Amino acid sequence: MSVTPGVLNPPPRADRRPRFKVGAGDLPLLMAYVYVVVMTGVCLIVSPDLIDGPGAMSANFSLVVPLALVCFGQTLVMLTRGIDLSVGGVISVGSALMATHLNAKGWAVMPEVLAILVLGTLIGVLNGVIIAKTAIQPFIVTLAMWSIWDGVAFGVLPVEGGKVSQTLTNATNGNIVGIPKSIWIVVVLLVVWRWLRQTRLLGDLVAIGSDENRARLLGVRIDRRKIEAYAACGFLAALASIWVTAQTQSGSPIGGDQFILASVAAVVIGGTNIFGGKGSAASSMMGAIAFLLIPILVFALNLTSFWGTFFQGLILIVAVTFNSLIQTRSQR
Amino acid sequence: MREAVTDTLRKHRSVVLAFALAIVLFVIGTVQASGFASWDHVRTILITSSFIGLVGVGQTLCMLTGGIDLSIPSNLAGAAVLTAFLANGSSASLLWIIPLVIVIGALIGLINGLGVAYAGVPPIIMTLGMNSAVQGLLLIYTHGGLAAAAPTNLVNFVNGNTLGLSTMVLLWIVVAILATVVLSFSTFGRKLYAVGTNPAAARLAGVDVRRVLVVPYIVSGAGAAATGVLLLGYLGQAFITMGDTYLFSSAVAVAVGGASILGGKGHYVGTVAGAIILTLITANLNLISLGTSAIDVAYGVILLGTVYLASMRMRSGQSPRLVAMLGDARTSIAKRWR
Repeated sequence: MSVTPGVLNPPPRADRRPRFKVGAGDLPLLMAYVYVVVMTGVCLIVSPDLIDGPGAMSANFSLVVPLALVCFGQTLVMLTRGIDLSVGGVISVGSALMATHLNAKGWAVMPEVLAILVLGTLIGVLNGVIIAKTAIQPFIVTLAMWSIWDGVAFGVLPVEGGKVSQTLTNATNGNIVGIPKSIWIVVVLLVVWRWLRQTRLLGDLVAIGSDENRARLLGVRIDRRKIEAYAACGFLAALASIWVTAQTQSGSPIGGDQFILASVAAVVIGGTNIFGGKGSAASSMMGAIAFLLIPILVFALNLTSFWGTFFQGLILIVAVTFNSLIQTRSQR
Repeated sequence: MREAVTDTLRKHRSVVLAFALAIVLFVIGTVQASGFASWDHVRTILITSSFIGLVGVGQTLCMLTGGIDLSIPSNLAGAAVLTAFLANGSSASLLWIIPLVIVIGALIGLINGLGVAYAGVPPIIMTLGMNSAVQGLLLIYTHGGLAAAAPTNLVNFVNGNTLGLSTMVLLWIVVAILATVVLSFSTFGRKLYAVGTNPAAARLAGVDVRRVLVVPYIVSGAGAAATGVLLLGYLGQAFITMGDTYLFSSAVAVAVGGASILGGKGHYVGTVAGAIILTLITANLNLISLGTSAIDVAYGVILLGTVYLASMRMRSGQSPRLVAMLGDARTSIAKRWR
């Protein structure tokens, strides 16, 4: 984790735009790291095999990858004071399409994989266009899209199942230089974030989230930037659906729904300001790891797995309340 | 006199339009299938609508203040499952179980409301987390969501008739009248609209904005729990996913009714029309053998469409009522009343 959350150096150019600043309100950005360290510590004491047993790291991180992808996109959207509930629909559609249409082997899978990525991006663009060009709140737009694409997924694949090309499954498994591919993907995402936060796009997203009117006066192309944020979110959700479907080797028309709560929770645990304007995808990914450590911890403590569902909801409520109190206080 | 009538019609144009749409959908169904207009089928449609309408009371109040309650599904299923398990087939204990279950629902709503009003948490995130937390408790309680049968008394009550009408429909009418009176003629109703329209102005006018904001979530929690108990009686058994469809249907019914809010003084009456419209659309889609898939798509399209139309009319300056529901970057939830 080379990125220190909260201590985000302002890039040299475009000084006229609001920049990341470090202040009391940054405490939430550090909480994810605290959660992860504490939970990993408890796991290591109670049942170390779950964390560092043979193959455990690879198995755990293959669950982290899709959530890291989705919460990366969710962070971009939430920076603009938006929310994307349609990620669930996108993942379900992607999963359903892959389970019914993807039988090719070798490089022949590429066109269909690309088609799913394009579809996800287009859904994101559609979200962005509606949100940017009309006065409808993001949560209403994406709630409607969630319903629509869940419906489409059900139409494509009415029950769980189907068959997924073995090529894809093989492509997601295995190691590169002795390190599981899943960990590499998280590392790549961190590098992408490090690059992204020096770009104009991210400065603009932060500006929009901090104060849309001021951003407009400063010449930020608000509509375009919002569309780009939602398009990125749709693209990353489609990528996540490919990973999940390849790993589970079957499709599910409702498989995406769990990612709505999970991605929002990961972003909130990561301390991204829910009122826009401040956040870090790196912290969100830490939040994702914390969120996924909950079921592991529940297992380690010998509780029924259903406690995981309860604690995953509870951590979202606790984290969001904590962040809201701190953030609204520091805004005052 | 004639002027007064046309004036009222104009003011409530959207409510009138919504009911007109319901009638059109009914006619379409009747043309397609001969049994559609039979008394039995109409009764079924109204009973099905009544469940959407009953959870819609709380959702209407939440959405009037710019919020939403996504914890309805697990709250509803939780109440049903708890009732079925506690009663264990016996009907005598329902007298204390039902109030208990509704109080629990109200308490869950209270936590939602406190988070939204006092901690400033966005309603969507608060209630999303609550949905998962309650669902987790429910899974723990039932050891994985086994179905449980309803007590016979409850089944007979829900499926029975009172004063020649279906008990459910009668209950819905009573609730609708109550909701209308509260929204239109009570101080609380006026405060709710004031907070929904402009929280800052409401605060300056002496309204305790936070206290007003808590109430919709309590109503929604209690309403979802009560609906869960009734749905348990109607379906005959309780299972964990029984509330899932009410997440979208309640929000969409309110959105269809929300369009009517713009017309003038309509409100829960619009949700009533919305609930009936949704049920008729579902029935029509079933007639042409399009199942769950098409219904989900239809819900999404209707939600987007009605809210879009409402936003267009708001822009043209007809009414500021839906300001709370429609986006305006300047009035974020955090800054609105802080």
